[in-house]
Amino acid sequence: MSGQSSIIIEAKNVDFLYSGEWETVTPAVSGISFTVRQGEYVALVGPNGSGKTTLLKLFNALLIPSAGEVLVKGISTVNEGMLPEIRRSCGMIFQNPDNQLVATTVEEDIAFGLENLALPSEEIKKRVLEAAATLGLEKLLKHPPHLLSGGEKQRVAIAGVLVMEPDCILMDEPTAMLDPAGRHAVLEAVQQLHRERGIAVVHVTHFPEEAAGADRVAVLSEGRLVVDGSPEDVMTGLPLLHDLGLRGTTAVELASMLRQDGYPLPPKILHDRELVDSLCSLEQNS
Amino acid sequence: MFVGTEQLTHVYMPGTPFSTKALRDISFSFQKGEFALIIGPSGSGKSTLIQHLNGLLRPTSGRVIFEGKNIGRDKRDLLHLRRRIGLVFQMPEEQFFSETVFDEIAFAPRNQGFAENEVKIRVDEALEKTGLKGLDLKGRHPFQLSAGQKRLVAVAAVLSVNPEVLILDEPTVALDNTGRDNLFDLLTELNREEGLTVIISTHHLDEAAALASSVLVLKQGELVMSGPAEDIFSERDQLYNLGLALPPVNEIMHGIFEKGFSVNTSVYTLKEARREINKLIRRDKP
Repeated sequence: MSGQSSIIIEAKNVDFLYSGEWETVTPAVSGISFTVRQGEYVALVGPNGSGKTTLLKLFNALLIPSAGEVLVKGISTVNEGMLPEIRRSCGMIFQNPDNQLVATTVEEDIAFGLENLALPSEEIKKRVLEAAATLGLEKLLKHPPHLLSGGEKQRVAIAGVLVMEPDCILMDEPTAMLDPAGRHAVLEAVQQLHRERGIAVVHVTHFPEEAAGADRVAVLSEGRLVVDGSPEDVMTGLPLLHDLGLRGTTAVELASMLRQDGYPLPPKILHDRELVDSLCSLEQNS
Repeated sequence: MFVGTEQLTHVYMPGTPFSTKALRDISFSFQKGEFALIIGPSGSGKSTLIQHLNGLLRPTSGRVIFEGKNIGRDKRDLLHLRRRIGLVFQMPEEQFFSETVFDEIAFAPRNQGFAENEVKIRVDEALEKTGLKGLDLKGRHPFQLSAGQKRLVAVAAVLSVNPEVLILDEPTVALDNTGRDNLFDLLTELNREEGLTVIISTHHLDEAAALASSVLVLKQGELVMSGPAEDIFSERDQLYNLGLALPPVNEIMHGIFEKGFSVNTSVYTLKEARREINKLIRRDKP
């Protein structure tokens, strides 16, 4: 995205410490400065315990910085009176779909956030139907959410965020508990919202293939931001990723091995298709 | 037959309006020392089947077999059975209930009636096997550990009664690469060095495919495919239609094959892919 796009989320030198009897004194995140611009798709990667979820929760005021400041569209998250607006603007999708569905039908669940905005019921109905259509949930509106598949539940949760007309969707490993078909459907839906409506996305993931599909990848380690750049740069930087116990995409890992075997593969191969094409042209020319 | 079922059917809430047939007429058998996979989309009955294998659920009809014998209904039989067949639930760390790692791992041997000095030996052995011994975790609260360590503690809590069969329901969900690698190193060692029969349900085949000896594929409660791993994985289109995906490295090999090159596509690890691509490209050279 271009430099002129307006800033949705801005973290300025943010620290966060959890307090509690078992917690250590090490901050969960420290010294983080980070911006998310309108329409950007940012992947957040890092080992378990590196602060990804904490940072995501700081972005919509589920947590308030211990030091520094998080601004959502210029509003500081310490501003309690603005919490509804902050959370409307940046909606959260959690890892476990069962933790975020509250109503007895899909329809009511999607409408849950809207009901608090004191909108006319016609408007609520319109937005719910529209969001359900966008996410392919029209036939499930009268179903109880707990009987849906994992992928359907996550799409219901996304629809519940979408009706709020958000600027940004925050997702914490939304596909971790889904089967491949459910995972594919959820990622497709989010990509579509990003492409067609310009909604910004911050996507925490352990899947290198998901990070490779983002506009930008930020890597966290021990609560600090260690690198922030394009997937072509970050996800092909194997020494750093391996050092942190992370991996590149399968194409990146395999290309690196084959380069060691002496094959002249182009740098920055990121996706399967690029590797297959490069290998086939090598074979044809050999 | 070492472990298996004969025409197993399971109905949840029979005789009520919510009656659901979760398993229909399932028959299979695994040999001692196998590394077996149970795969299938969400809701296909994987967890239900697994819970039958150590007697947590009772068949609506049909039989569950261990060492050629029907799993009995006698309570003492079941206690004995669960000592020999250990089950690690999905997201097991969510069910931790002890104040210390020691007590968490000691629960099962204590419950089985071992004397406290024997319990202590069992806990040490389980920590040793899971590679946690050197970390001095025994006195710590389980919630203080990293996600990967918690998962290993959950496995240690089952290993503490020295089972001969270890069953794990979606063992890698929400773990990072390091956590997944550590867990699979452990499972490989338990299977190959200690001769444990390992049975895993999963929809992420990345690490599991290369280790598997037998595979069951479930769909909506029915056994749709079963057999040696190499036979099942060669049915790529059928798996794809079921919403299941082979490891990404397999996609790359198929990509090369589809471009008209005769490369071996029965490849599930990076190492194998590297070898096969070297064979392909260097083949014609003098």
